[in-house]
Amino acid sequence: MSKSVLDNLFGSRARVKILKFIFRTHPEQFTFRDVVQRTQESEDIVKKELAVLESMHLVRRISNGS
Amino acid sequence: MPPKKRNRTGKRKKKARTPKRVVRPRVVMPGPTYVVNKEFAFFNELHSLILKPSPAERGELMRRIASLGRVKLAVISGVFLNTPDQTALIDTNAPTDLFLVADDYSKQKLSAFLKALESEVGKEIKFGIMDREEFMYRFGMFDRFVRVLLEGPHEKLINKLGI
Repeated sequence: MSKSVLDNLFGSRARVKILKFIFRTHPEQFTFRDVVQRTQESEDIVKKELAVLESMHLVRRISNGS
Repeated sequence: MPPKKRNRTGKRKKKARTPKRVVRPRVVMPGPTYVVNKEFAFFNELHSLILKPSPAERGELMRRIASLGRVKLAVISGVFLNTPDQTALIDTNAPTDLFLVADDYSKQKLSAFLKALESEVGKEIKFGIMDREEFMYRFGMFDRFVRVLLEGPHEKLINKLGI
């Protein structure tokens, strides 16, 4: 499948999926697990992407879970 | 090892120990909880960019639906029509996000397609499918579901039924 403009712009298909998920979910909060399930991406990728989003303050971590 | 103690009935006492493997449903940890930071400098811009429906995606969606089988009618609504500002408004009203009329399709392909689509949209998709006969019957009798769908905001990606 050809990459969409957004996928190219943001450099990663997974990143765009995650961004779509978090904006669709906003203003509800979401867990790491929610993101993995909805985006169908691997835990490693989601972990990495969420860390990036968190470091630039687009998302805030409100609990560490267990 | 000391000899095993026996109780009065002569049966071996059950050892109070935890078995090495406890069979129980795997508990999946939800992990950390997050929320979008509304104070993010480009919050509004990014929000509308990310959720903007694009014509290219529309074409891609049509191609993928057509490849599912002999699809007579494909109607999108709800999440697929959303412009970001209307998100809340349309979402709750649309009974279906994607509605198909098809006589011949692979269930397996369809569920894989829906799963992938949900992962791309970032949201659960409200979905409906009927065969042509059922649809034409419902269409002819002004069935409520069909009427609400076709009278509300929607777009027909595939329409071989001439409706």
